[in-house]
Amino acid sequence: MNASSLIAKKERSALLQNQRGLAWLLAYAGILSAFALLLISNQELSLLDNAQVVYMMAGTVTAAGALIAVIMGSDAYAGERERGTLVPLLTAPISTNELLMGKAIGLAGAWGIMYLLALPYLWAVGAGGQNLGQAIFYLGLFGTPVVLGFGYLAMALSARSGSVMSSLLTSLIVLLFSASPLLLGPGLRNSAVGRALDAINPFSGALNTYDAVIIDSDPFMSQLGRLVLVLLWLGIMFGVARLSARRPAIR
Amino acid sequence: MKQLKYLLAGCLLLSATLVSAASLQLQLQPDPANPAHPTMGDWMHFDSVITNSGQQPIEGLVAWISLVEVTPGKEQPMDLEDWSAHKAVTGTTLQPGATLNTQWPMRLIQNGDYRVVISTTDRNNKTVFTSPTLQFHVTQKPVVESTRILPVALGIPLLIGGLFGVQKFRHQHKVS
Repeated sequence: MNASSLIAKKERSALLQNQRGLAWLLAYAGILSAFALLLISNQELSLLDNAQVVYMMAGTVTAAGALIAVIMGSDAYAGERERGTLVPLLTAPISTNELLMGKAIGLAGAWGIMYLLALPYLWAVGAGGQNLGQAIFYLGLFGTPVVLGFGYLAMALSARSGSVMSSLLTSLIVLLFSASPLLLGPGLRNSAVGRALDAINPFSGALNTYDAVIIDSDPFMSQLGRLVLVLLWLGIMFGVARLSARRPAIR
Repeated sequence: MKQLKYLLAGCLLLSATLVSAASLQLQLQPDPANPAHPTMGDWMHFDSVITNSGQQPIEGLVAWISLVEVTPGKEQPMDLEDWSAHKAVTGTTLQPGATLNTQWPMRLIQNGDYRVVISTTDRNNKTVFTSPTLQFHVTQKPVVESTRILPVALGIPLLIGGLFGVQKFRHQHKVS
C-alpha cells in the first residue's frame, strides 16, 4: 500500500473510529434528523409534495456534507500543525503531492460515508413519491463535486493559514454565501443579479439540478451545463489545494 | 299619545333596519376549476360577489371568510392560520349598484367536512351580512409518514451516539 493510500485510509477511518470524527458525523446526522422531524411535526410542511421534500432533503444533505467537508479540510493541515504532527509528516519519505492526494482521497471517502448515511433519510421522506432514484443518482453526481470542492478549498486555506480557526472561518463564509440559494428559493433569485450568481455558483448549480430532475423530471441532457459548472468547481479547487499544499505553512 | 310616539319610533327603527339589511347582497360560489374530490394539500378557490343593492354608498366595507368544521363529533370553528393568507378585504367603498368580486384561495390542511361563509359589515352599519354557506369534504391524503421517518431520524443519531460512547469508553480504558 503506498503512502497516499495509507493517509487516505487514516483520514477516512478517522470519521468512524475517532471521537472527533464521530462527533462531526453525529452533527451531520443531527442536521438531517432535525429536518426530517420538522417535516412531520409541522402540519403544513407534512403536506408538501414528496418530490419537493426529497429536493429539500437533497439540498440539506449537500449543505451538511459541505459543512463537514469544510471542517475536515480546515483540519487537514492546520490541525496537524496545531497537534504538532505536520513536521514529522513532512519529513517522512512522502512527497507533498502524495500527502495531499491522501488527504483528498480521505475526504472523498468521508463524503462517501456521509452519502451512504443520507440514503435512509432520503428513503424515509421520499419513499412512495416520484423520482427518489433520480434524487439518489443526482445527489451523487452533483453533490460530490460541490462537497469535495468546498473541502479542497478549506484544505488549501488550511495549508497556508496559521490556524484551523482562521481557515475554518474563511471557508464557512464562502460556504454560507454559496449556500444562500437554499434559503432564498428560486423565486427570490429571479433577478438579473440572482441569475448571474446562479450561473457561477456551483451550489446553485446543484440545487437547480435537483429541482429540475426531482420535481420537474427534466432529462439528463438538460443538466450538462450545470454538470460542467460543478466539475469545473471541483477541478479548480483541487488545483488551488495542490498549489497551496506544495509549501504548507509550518508555523 | 306617548304610546303612539313609541310605536312610531319603533316602526322607524324597524324600517331603517330593513332598508339597511336589504342594502348588501352576497353570493358565494365554488370556483369551477376546483378539484371535484378535494384532498388534503389541494387548493380550492371560492368566488364571492358583494353587491350594494341600496341607495346609499357603503363606505369602509369589510368582508372576511370563515371556515367551520362540521365533521360529526368534531364541530368547531377553524383557525385559518395555515389554510389561507387571504382572510379579508378591508376599507372598500361600494357605490349603489356596484359589485365587489373577490376570490378566496384556501389550502386544504386537514381532512373532514367543512363549511365556508363570507361575512361583511361596514363602517356605519352594525349589521353583519352573510353569504349562503358552501359545504365540502376533504379526503385524507398519505403525507410524509412519521412511521418511516421516526425510526431513521432517531435511530441513526442514536447509533452514532452509541459508537461515540464505545469509542470514549475504549479510550478511557486504554488511558487507565
